[in-house]
Amino acid sequence: MEFYLAFILLFPLAGGLCNTLFARLLPRRLSEAVACGAIWASFICALLVFFNFTGPLKVEYASWLTAFDFQAPVTLYLDQLSLSLALMITFVCGLIHLYSIGYMKGDPALARYFALLNIFVFAMLVLVLAENLPLLYLGWEGVGFCSYALIGFWYQEEKNATAGRKAFIVTRIGDIAFGIAMVWMYRLFGTVSITQLNSMASLVPAGIVTGLGILLLIGATGKSAQLPLSVWLPDAMAGPTPVSAQIHAATMVTAGVYLLARMFPLIGASEAVRAAIAVIGGVTAFYAATCACAQRDLKRILAYSTISQIGYMVLGVGAGALTAATFHLLTHAFFKALLFLGAGCVITVLHHQQDIYRMGGLKSRFPAIYWPFLAGALCLAGFPGSGGFFSKDAILGAVFARGGALYGSLFALGLFTALLTAFYTFRMLFVVFHGEADNSRPLSPSSGEWHSHLPPVMTVTLIPLALFGLLGGILDLPEYLGASAFLSGFLGPIPGFAGLVQAVPGDEVSLQIIAAATSIVGLGLAWSRYTGDRRAASLAMEEAGSPRSDFFLYGWYLDHLYHLLLIRPFEWLSRFLWKRIDESGIDGSLDGLARFTARLGGVPAGWSSGRVVTSLFGLAGGVCVVLAYLAWRVLG
Amino acid sequence: MIVPLEHILILAALLFFLGLGGLLAWRTNLIMMLVCIEVMLNAVMLVFVGGSTQWGNADGQIFAIFIMALTSSEVSLALAMVVYLHRRKRTVNTDLFSEMKG
Repeated sequence: MEFYLAFILLFPLAGGLCNTLFARLLPRRLSEAVACGAIWASFICALLVFFNFTGPLKVEYASWLTAFDFQAPVTLYLDQLSLSLALMITFVCGLIHLYSIGYMKGDPALARYFALLNIFVFAMLVLVLAENLPLLYLGWEGVGFCSYALIGFWYQEEKNATAGRKAFIVTRIGDIAFGIAMVWMYRLFGTVSITQLNSMASLVPAGIVTGLGILLLIGATGKSAQLPLSVWLPDAMAGPTPVSAQIHAATMVTAGVYLLARMFPLIGASEAVRAAIAVIGGVTAFYAATCACAQRDLKRILAYSTISQIGYMVLGVGAGALTAATFHLLTHAFFKALLFLGAGCVITVLHHQQDIYRMGGLKSRFPAIYWPFLAGALCLAGFPGSGGFFSKDAILGAVFARGGALYGSLFALGLFTALLTAFYTFRMLFVVFHGEADNSRPLSPSSGEWHSHLPPVMTVTLIPLALFGLLGGILDLPEYLGASAFLSGFLGPIPGFAGLVQAVPGDEVSLQIIAAATSIVGLGLAWSRYTGDRRAASLAMEEAGSPRSDFFLYGWYLDHLYHLLLIRPFEWLSRFLWKRIDESGIDGSLDGLARFTARLGGVPAGWSSGRVVTSLFGLAGGVCVVLAYLAWRVLG
Repeated sequence: MIVPLEHILILAALLFFLGLGGLLAWRTNLIMMLVCIEVMLNAVMLVFVGGSTQWGNADGQIFAIFIMALTSSEVSLALAMVVYLHRRKRTVNTDLFSEMKG
């Protein structure tokens, strides 16, 4: 057991190191095989662990940081939450790795790509399995670094490198808050072990718990791209599409949700923190959904949908429905990976065209892409029966069950967001796949011809994801369907997961009917707008743009706001320090001093003219001085 | 002693500063500068002789005779160098000689 657990981590690390160290020596096939093999081996280890799992397990492998009474050994903690996440991560990332073989065909930097991808998975697994906060932080920073390197993978283009830097810097703001919280917890409790910390909430006043919770929440907003630190994720589309899939589905953005769920027994003790988490999640879900409705870049639609869906998860955590949040995290991983990989196929066949207004009519030509993509869209839109429907509705149901004005309005917001979600999802689907490819809109700027040589591995990997996404609901069916809720039972024993409030079964049915109706209304709206006769008119109108659609297209001008509030003053300050303080102040005064001494040295230098008269004047001057001194002594 | 020491000293000072002034002012001619130096030395000798009469001590007069001997040798040496310098540059203007510059 301990053996398998260690190998879940060691395989991706070994794969990454192998590709790093022998990058140039390995043939492409071997490089791909090593990377994919490492992840699938890791998945098999996770499966073995799952079948041998009897209860929470804490294994110490080695000592790491030790200073006086500060202890942070390499200890892994395996419970139901980390196990289910590890299974999901290795499975989804394994498929993404396979897909990458097709997508990155012909890219010269293949070894670097796979090395980073493997280490990305390793870092995420460390994050999930860590027992103490420093080890978790190691994984946390690891995913931050790998996402930076992968977003800016094609770094020769300035735009991509900038996007990578932006992701790194914005998430760093959250990381600082997390770091402060970690140090503070050590000062308060004298330990950094997560299991011990979680049992200590009652030892400190509620105000301090609130402070810790807010700091952790800031950390989570950075990593999970929640408001106000959400701006990095839409730009993160600069990376290769499988990387986007991995960031959005399995690694990176779910880290914040995981952190909040993991520390919930501690921070959930404060009502204010729970409310703050719920509000951040709910508002982010709404914000991102409105933005997604106006996007015209296929990948940016998906990016905003991720922010929105993560918002639901955070909302679920805030409502105390950790099981529902985890459930949504798992189903979201499947269908978001599916959508991104599908989008990658679309982009490949269209010669890296990402503008949805240039697409259309792909349904008949590429059914192998269309049907899995449709499955993903159904899940994302929460279409009745799909995995996303049950998980999203579990969250909304939990929020509704909390009652009160705050949670009531968050529920209403969440429901409206669900409507928007269904609308933008099907807008994307209909615009890209339905209708006719208009000849006046060439598919690619250069030739306009189809690129039909899609590597089969790219479409084959969509199928298992589509199945898992659609059938993900089976993991945790609601009770009124008579099935046993597997995930609730599995996750139930973890502290904090038992659920604060249980929904009344009658309510649950009516809630699900409302949610289903919402989803179908959204679908209907998109159908009436983007198919048939009205399609051309709608597209032309949207393409023309308007101030209102620009507002949503640029994400409520959040980037511009930050540019105005933070970057502009910072640049001004930098320029002030550079020009005024450094160049004028420090350099100027030193230059002035140097000029003064040079001039001072020039005075006696003039005396060494070599002419007799200079010496004579010196002599006479000296005589005068001596005489003046004597006269002063005698007379004065 | 008819002439008081103060008068002698005032005369010597006048002579000394005349010589010094001439030395500084007349630098276009090296020979005139030597003459001015002689004037200054004579002023000094005058002080020695005056002092010697005042206190009735012969040391001052002996010094004066020494200075005379020294001056004559100095002048002969200096004139030889003046001749040499004149041969080199056909001038005795000291401002034109700056080879001593470091």
